[in-house]
Amino acid sequence: MAAGPVVKKIMDTYKGKVRLVIKNYPYKYRDYAHSAAEASLAAADQGKYWEMHDLLLKKSPKLDRDSLINYAKDLGLDVKAFTTAIDSRKHAAEIERDIQLAHAMDLYSTPTYYINGRKVVGNRPYEYLKQIIEEELKNAKK
Amino acid sequence: MLFSLILALIRPGLRGFDRLYAFMNLIWNCGQKNRSNTMSGLAGICGMVLAMLIPLSAVASFAGHLEPFRSVPVPKSNPQTPEKIELGKKLFFDRRLSGDGTMSCASCHIPEQAYTDGQDISLSYPTTMNWRNSPTLINVALYKNLFHDGRVKTLEDQALFPMLSAFEMNQNLDFVEEEIRVVPEYAEAFQKVFGGEPNRERIAMAIAAFERTLVSVNAPYDRFLKGDRKALTEDAMKGLEIFNGKGKCADCHDGVNLSDDKFYALHVPENPVLLNDPRVTATMRFVAKVYHDKDYRNLKEDPGRYLITKDKKDWKAFRTPTLREIARSGPYMHNGVLNTLDEVIEFFNAGGGKGNRHLKPLGLSEEEKKHLKAFLVEALTGEELKFVYPVIP
Repeated sequence: MAAGPVVKKIMDTYKGKVRLVIKNYPYKYRDYAHSAAEASLAAADQGKYWEMHDLLLKKSPKLDRDSLINYAKDLGLDVKAFTTAIDSRKHAAEIERDIQLAHAMDLYSTPTYYINGRKVVGNRPYEYLKQIIEEELKNAKK
Repeated sequence: MLFSLILALIRPGLRGFDRLYAFMNLIWNCGQKNRSNTMSGLAGICGMVLAMLIPLSAVASFAGHLEPFRSVPVPKSNPQTPEKIELGKKLFFDRRLSGDGTMSCASCHIPEQAYTDGQDISLSYPTTMNWRNSPTLINVALYKNLFHDGRVKTLEDQALFPMLSAFEMNQNLDFVEEEIRVVPEYAEAFQKVFGGEPNRERIAMAIAAFERTLVSVNAPYDRFLKGDRKALTEDAMKGLEIFNGKGKCADCHDGVNLSDDKFYALHVPENPVLLNDPRVTATMRFVAKVYHDKDYRNLKEDPGRYLITKDKKDWKAFRTPTLREIARSGPYMHNGVLNTLDEVIEFFNAGGGKGNRHLKPLGLSEEEKKHLKAFLVEALTGEELKFVYPVIP
């Protein structure tokens, strides 16, 4: 849940060296987990994934539809397009695919990282992930 | 054997009666614990001879005892069988044991991470937060007190606790019994192993049987104690001297498991999340409430074993952990607040946490700290055992 700051720091530090792929795993028993995932991807459509991601974490658990639309306004998004996206569950298939992928890989915890195939479950400090990335960058140069 | 016994006898350490007791214990071990092997006669004799030869003044400088790993104790009420161990292994990895089907025992005790989860504060049931570190399960069968606060004595009793815990597996035991009973493979396996249907006691017994197989095997330290004088590198040898001497580590980290199984308030700094994250604070209050702590809503720190005994001397006291596989089982201490072994060594070198009554500054030089770390990392890491994951029915 608090993976954002660490991931962003890694992406800043290793610009051009690390590619980030994010998969969604909304918790099945949280009321708004799915709609929050939809909201983050709808914001990503407009280039503001991290902004929405951070806001959702900050405002959680206030993640009902009206609140999501207000957050889109706060971030200066095209609210009409955003609302259409979340109401039509535009990204539902993508989110479902991510969930199925997680289960196929026996993953149930967030955050879970894969760094060049190396699995790390749970929140980690920057230094922990940095060490793995440095090792993998070294291996990649060989 | 003779060499290893002499090594065991030259360790400085505990005070007064403890020293004498430790010495007597060593002699007893020398004669009793080795009965099953061919060296038992010699071991017994050498212990007796040394006891006679060493003057009392020397006895006063002995700490506990050092022992190589040989086997784990198995209770008569729950004998090990291959089928039971395999059943326990499946249950250990089965997420059915948690309320929402996302957590298994292995979620926080991952084989590749020395049966820890590698986090400062252990993973938790979704939407909640744990408050303590996930301890390694390696050699867990050698403990007489389980959990950081020693709340239970047997693995059979321990196994059900996390299942019931709201912030770990959050399961209902009546429910999980039925969940397991409706799985034909489990019903058949329980019948074969226990001669009856699955129930909570048998689930715990099978998991305990599996956990008794999690051991650190053939570490350089074991080979050294069994007489292989080349088992330790020069640095690790120097580290062992510090471990037994100036570092005073062996005062508490002794015996085959390098733990005296006792409780000490070393005043380890609190993990900041204890008060900074309301979910962690809630967990602390919940546990204190369950243990009938009258002031549970005003707690500002982890009370440790005090919650179990309500004895003031146990305030913030935690069990001495094993040092087996220590290089692989960080972060360290009951709350994972020390990330590396360097930080741990610094903590002890500084005399522990503020206000503690057990530790004093050690005055280790940089070189000595390096050697001590070499011993911990090189000597106490056993053979890497290939782990085969079970197929969950």
